[in-house]
Formats: sequence, C-alpha cells, structure tokens
Amino acid sequence: MTQADLIDEARIAGPGVSASGAKPELVLKSSEFRKGREEGWRELENLVQRVERRGVRSLTLDELQQLPMLYRAALSSLSVARTIALDRNLLLYLENLALRAYLVVYGPRVGAFEGLRAFFVYDLPAAVRAARWHILIVTIALLLGVAAGFLLTVQDEAWMTALVPADLAGGRGPSVTAAELRSKELFAPWPGAAEAFGIFANVLFSHNTLVGLLSFGLGLAAGIPTLLLTLYQGLTLGAFLALHYNRGLAVDFLGWISIHGTSELGALILLSAGGLVIADKILFPGRYSRVENLALHGRQAAMMGVGGVLMLFVAGVLEGGFRQLVQSTPLRFAIGLGIGALWLIYYSRCGRREPK
Amino acid sequence: MMSVQDAPRGPPPLPSLPPLPPLPPLPPLPPLPPLLPLPSALEERASRVFGDLRRQRREIVTPEGVPVTVQIADYGERLAAFSIDFAIWTLLSLLIYLPVFLIIFRTGGSLIAISIALFIGFIVRNLYFIYFELAWQGSTPGKRVIGLRVIDRRGGPLLPSAVIARNLTREVEMFIPLGILLEGGRSVGGGVDWSQLSTAVWLLFFAALPAINRDRMRGGDLIAGTMVIALPRLALSSDLVERAMQFTFTPQQLKAYGAFELQVLEELLRRPPSAETTQVLDEVCDKICRKIGWTDSLPRREVTAFLRDFYTAERAYLEREQLFGKTRADKYAKPAAPP
Repeated sequence: MTQADLIDEARIAGPGVSASGAKPELVLKSSEFRKGREEGWRELENLVQRVERRGVRSLTLDELQQLPMLYRAALSSLSVARTIALDRNLLLYLENLALRAYLVVYGPRVGAFEGLRAFFVYDLPAAVRAARWHILIVTIALLLGVAAGFLLTVQDEAWMTALVPADLAGGRGPSVTAAELRSKELFAPWPGAAEAFGIFANVLFSHNTLVGLLSFGLGLAAGIPTLLLTLYQGLTLGAFLALHYNRGLAVDFLGWISIHGTSELGALILLSAGGLVIADKILFPGRYSRVENLALHGRQAAMMGVGGVLMLFVAGVLEGGFRQLVQSTPLRFAIGLGIGALWLIYYSRCGRREPK
Repeated sequence: MMSVQDAPRGPPPLPSLPPLPPLPPLPPLPPLPPLLPLPSALEERASRVFGDLRRQRREIVTPEGVPVTVQIADYGERLAAFSIDFAIWTLLSLLIYLPVFLIIFRTGGSLIAISIALFIGFIVRNLYFIYFELAWQGSTPGKRVIGLRVIDRRGGPLLPSAVIARNLTREVEMFIPLGILLEGGRSVGGGVDWSQLSTAVWLLFFAALPAINRDRMRGGDLIAGTMVIALPRLALSSDLVERAMQFTFTPQQLKAYGAFELQVLEELLRRPPSAETTQVLDEVCDKICRKIGWTDSLPRREVTAFLRDFYTAERAYLEREQLFGKTRADKYAKPAAPP
C-alpha cells in the first residue's frame, strides 16, 4: 500500500487545489484493484466461453491446469469486490463470471457412458441396499396380501370376482375348468414373434407397470397408498393361486408365473420400496426441512425407481418371449428362480468392493 | 498373585474439593453492529429501478464458501427449451424408426412396429437428455439455445446420478398421467367417472408442481436435488471512474447520497448516448445540484463531465466509508455519525 492508495479527504474536498488550477487526482482502491486483476478475469472468461461453446476437450493441458486457479482467483476477487467496490457493473460481471466458471469447474466430470456404467455398477445397487428395511416392509405387505387372497379364495371362489377386476381375470373366474386353464393359459402354444412383442408392449403399459409406478409416485402421499396398493397386488396374486390350487394346478401355476414373476414382483417391490423411501424422507425429515430432506435422499428413491423400471423391461421380455416358449414346469422354475437369484446377487453384491 | 492383590489399585481417592463460589453474572453483550446489506440485495434494488430484473433469485454457496446469486429460469424459458429438445429427439427417433417401418411394411406386423417404436423412443429420449446434460455441463441443445443450465441446488457438483435420476423421473412423471389416461379411456360406465377425475387431479398436480414451489422444480428436480437456472452472459464495461477531475466536492455534499443512488447514477451514465439519455442526465444533474447546493454555473455541455466527476467522488467517498464499516444503503439512511 503506497500513500497514493489511500484516499485523502483533502483530495476529495480540495477546493484549494482546484483554485490553484491543477486538476485534483483521485485514486480509488476499487479501481486499482480492478486494474490489477482484470487480465486474469478476461483470461478466465475466454476459457469459460470456449468450454461453453466446444466443451472441456477444447482446452490444452496448460489451460486446463490454469482454469481452477483462475476460478479461485475470480472468486476471491468477487469476495473482495463485494466489500470494497460499489461499481455495479463490476460486481454483476464478477458474480456472473464466478458462476459460469463454477459450473465449468464443478460440472459433471464423466462422460455419459462412464456415468451410466458407474450408475449401474455402483450407485443403483448401493441405493437398493440402503433401503433394505423399506424393501422388507413392502415384501411383508405383499406376502400378507398373497396369504389373505389365497385363504379367502380357497374357501369361496366368489372372492375371485370381488378381488380381481374382470379385464385382468380374462375369463378366469370360478366357472373355469382345470383343462381350460391348462390349454389356454399355462401351456398355451407360443403365439409367434409378432404376438410375443405385442405382449411385451402390452406389459410395458400394463396394469402391473402402472401399479408399480403408481406405488412409487404415491410415496409422496405419505406412503399409505403405496402399502395398500402392494397389499392389493398380493391379494390378486393370492386369488389366482387359490383358483389354480383348487384345480390341482398350483405347482404348474407357480412355474408359469415364476418365469417372469420373479422380475415383475421384484420390480413391484423395488418401486413400492422407493415410494416408501420418499414417504419416509417426507414424514421424518430430521434436522432438515421436508423439501431439503427429499432433495438429500430423493436420489436414492429415484435410483430405485430406475431399478424397478429396468426389471419391468426384463419381465416384459420374459413374459412375451419365453413364458410360452418353455413348456416344462421344472424348466420354468429353473429360469424364473435363476433370474430371481441373478437379481438378488446383482443388488446385494454388485459394486460392493469399490465404494464410490 | 498375592502381591498383585495387595498392591493399591489405582491412585488414592482425592480429597473432596470445596464447592466453587457461584459465578458472577455475565455483563450484557454489547449490541451487534448492524449487518452490512448483501451486495446482491443492493444490486437487486438497482435492477428493479430499471426493470431488468425479471427472474427470481436464489443464493447458492460454492464449495469454496462464496455465496453466488443464481437466476431461476422462467416457465416460458423452460417450456421453450423443452420444445426444442422435443423436436430434436422426435426427429432423431423418426430417423431411427424409418428402417424399422420399412421392415414392418415388408412383413406386415403392426404390433412389432408399435413395441419397437415405443422401445426406441424410450431409449432415445432418455439417452438424449442424460448424454447432453452430462457432456455439456448440465445443458441440452434446447437449454443451450435458451441459455439454461441444470445445477445442484446446494451448490455442489452436478453428479451423474442426479442427472440420471432427474431425467428418468420425467419418465415416471409422464408415465403416470399417461397410463391413467389409457386406463380411464377404457372404462365406460355411468355416473361420476372417478378415474377420469383422478386423472385430472394427477395431471393438474404434476403440471402445477413447478408452479407451487419457490424454485420452480418439477418432480425430477425435487428428487434429484437440482434446479434449472438461466445463465446470461454479462460483459465487463470500462470503469467510469475519472482520474483527473474538473469539479471538486466537499464531504458535506457527498453525504447527500447512498450506495443505491450511486448505482442508479452508474446505470444512467452507462446508457448509450442518445437524445433521451441526454435529457435524463440533464434532469438528474439539476436534481443533484439542488440537493447538494451546487451554486456555480454549469454549462449544458459539461453535464456529463460533471456527473462523471460527481460519480467518482461519491464512489470514492462511499467506498472509503464502507471500508470503515459505515455503509450507507441510500439517501434515507442515517449518514455515518462523525467520530
């Protein structure tokens, strides 16, 4: 700091100086500050602009090393300018520059495909593992539903019509015979590629998908609708099981449904558990506000939603392609349980060793 | 063994201490000095005067601990950006669909067509958004044209998982109302159509979601912890400070105004020269002269020079006062008391 840096009151006032004819000279700290640093700001602006236009790869190695240093310098300039300068244009410019540089420096550092890989190898299984209690609750609700549906329908098949909507039952009511179930449902011939894909498309928009996504979305409504929907899904399944059980087809039915059911029920459980996570974070925000807490943990729920949709896709392919192609019950069990085991291993083991 | 048992265990018990005398009551804390107004609040006020403050503002804190103001994107801007993206990915999907459709016309299967089209649509639109938001630092072609960015709401880095979550949630946001619409269309019954009613409520809720929260987040933003901001580019203009001054002012005269008036004056002086600007500057000059009691004659052609000198002197004065902790927000604030 030289003496000239200090603003001398006499120089501001200085009527005597003015009278003597010499023009008074005024040195502002903020002006000098700007003069000393402007070059660095311009350099940073240039780099940031190039990244915004052509991506980070357009910078050379030297420039890349310079970028964070220039960014920190600009941030420090901003902090200083806020305390010493009243130049509006300068303050706005520095704030804008700091923000743009911040977005470049702290932007996503991985490419889309690396990001996707890291997501499926580490983030997704970790998110599912973190929600094991929610998954347990949902599974219990589903099993309760299955048990209740089974017990009700086994003693009185009129419950079937009450529990299962007509379009879902597809004619499989109390009057259906074992032979009909066997030839039209369990061991129906493979309809061919076109039909199989049709079923696949249908599954995508089918009842179950909708229910899964609804359970997830309804987590926003404190999670009660989520649990009710899961319970109801269990009831439907239990009713179907009882219908087949009464006709001595329980094992064949389980085999028929397991081929895609392990994936589909897994998806339903995962989506409902995701909904419960959302409800949990909204109901019990802890030390944060509810929205803050949702933002903090919502990513976990969203990832579980992604996992659920993924499983639904697989279930759709299996249901359309493989279910009627494989006609033997033991083989169906093998495929269904094998895929279920694969899901279990993926979610419980994958990406465990290398925590991100 | 005996010796171990006989040895004293641990140190002997300490004699009990006399009770401590009660502490004297603490002297009352001196009142805190008034907080400095945030610079951004000041800028905001000046911006409001000139009507160039359209967007809502939020403050985020960078990992270095510096608060930075961001401008939240308007509904219109987001809709425009989405429309552009929508157009691009529809074209992209169509390009991919074309060979698929050709095959279908040969074989004549419509179900395959629909399912493959749906599948490709799903893949293309999700990869499109995820790819660009990761590769282009949180913007897609549409957002780039409009000048929008996706950022982490708490100022942290934008993680790939957040980008993936916020875009796949769009799927859920669209799927649910769409699915219900399909379901609702199927059921035909008399009386109140509850499914249609709930559809309407759902759709309304998701459409209204950005409107009922302060940060205009849609469901995906809410869950991924992101928000969409507008990022205009600002240029640095030259410094208005004059080194050599023609006019001089007394501290008494400079006490007439505060930081707000200074920034308004700066804004006026930065306007491109025109007949209107000249007229405004003349009026402002007259007002200032009256306020500070300027009695010397002032020819019209020297108005700009006078105002620039006044700006320089006023800024020097106010900045120095600010350094001493005596911030003055505007002319109504109490002038700093003499020591």
